[in-house]
Amino acid sequence: MAEIGKVRIRIPPTIKRGDAVRVRSLVIHPMEIVQRKDGKPIDKNYHFIQKVIVAYNGREILQAETTQSISENPFFTFSFKATEPGTLTITFLDTHGGQYEGTADIRFS
Amino acid sequence: MVERVRKGQVVSRRVVLRALGVFGVSAVFVPFVLGTPGPALGQGNLGALQPEEKVDATLTRLFGNRSIKDGSNVMKLDIPLIAENGALVPITVEVQAPMTPSIFVNHIYIVSDKNRRPMNARFSLTPEMGVAVIGTTLRLGGTTDVRAIAEMSDGTLLIAKREVKVTIGGCGG
Repeated sequence: MAEIGKVRIRIPPTIKRGDAVRVRSLVIHPMEIVQRKDGKPIDKNYHFIQKVIVAYNGREILQAETTQSISENPFFTFSFKATEPGTLTITFLDTHGGQYEGTADIRFS
Repeated sequence: MVERVRKGQVVSRRVVLRALGVFGVSAVFVPFVLGTPGPALGQGNLGALQPEEKVDATLTRLFGNRSIKDGSNVMKLDIPLIAENGALVPITVEVQAPMTPSIFVNHIYIVSDKNRRPMNARFSLTPEMGVAVIGTTLRLGGTTDVRAIAEMSDGTLLIAKREVKVTIGGCGG
């Protein structure tokens, strides 16, 4: 799991001002699932992403609260309105205190 | 407590979260705070997970008895009809609704009926997104209805659902 927390973001190659741009992001994460013993869930500190925050030029535009029903190495898709050039930041927070961040430069063509 | 805060770097995230958890439990009037930790059980965070329940209970817990309108004409639920592997089922939800500061899609919930913990994800959207579209990859325990529920900023609830046939479950145990 050396790669845990690796974030990849894919944005379209050309972006015009005012576009609603679709973004796909991937994070490498185990998203550990609940283990059971004799049909009962085991209490342990499960390791999964519980929050995703997307910010565009520092302004938060999307927040997701996620659970273990999200797959391993999950994808997240969303859109944002490209009003000015800048940076898109996606932050993933997990239950073990991990914080993984990915950024993409937004430039107009 | 103040001293703890000052130490800042030393206090582990877990300690902070647990402290928040104590507060969260007392905040009974918050209708739904996903991830609000329950009472700490042992060492783990099992109590903080979404509860295992039937989907009806989930909907009641999230929305009380507010009426949920059929939104299938404005909501596009993009999810495979047949998923060979339940461990990775892509889903995209698009709500064809205006995203202006006066009215926009505030939240999108994803609920899968047959998962042990039906509440899967909650997205909080803003008008800055331009289009109300979100997507993720789900884990489904078996063949199930998947529901997407959109909450508009004026409180209107819209629902769309689709059955997904799952050949191999993805939730294990």
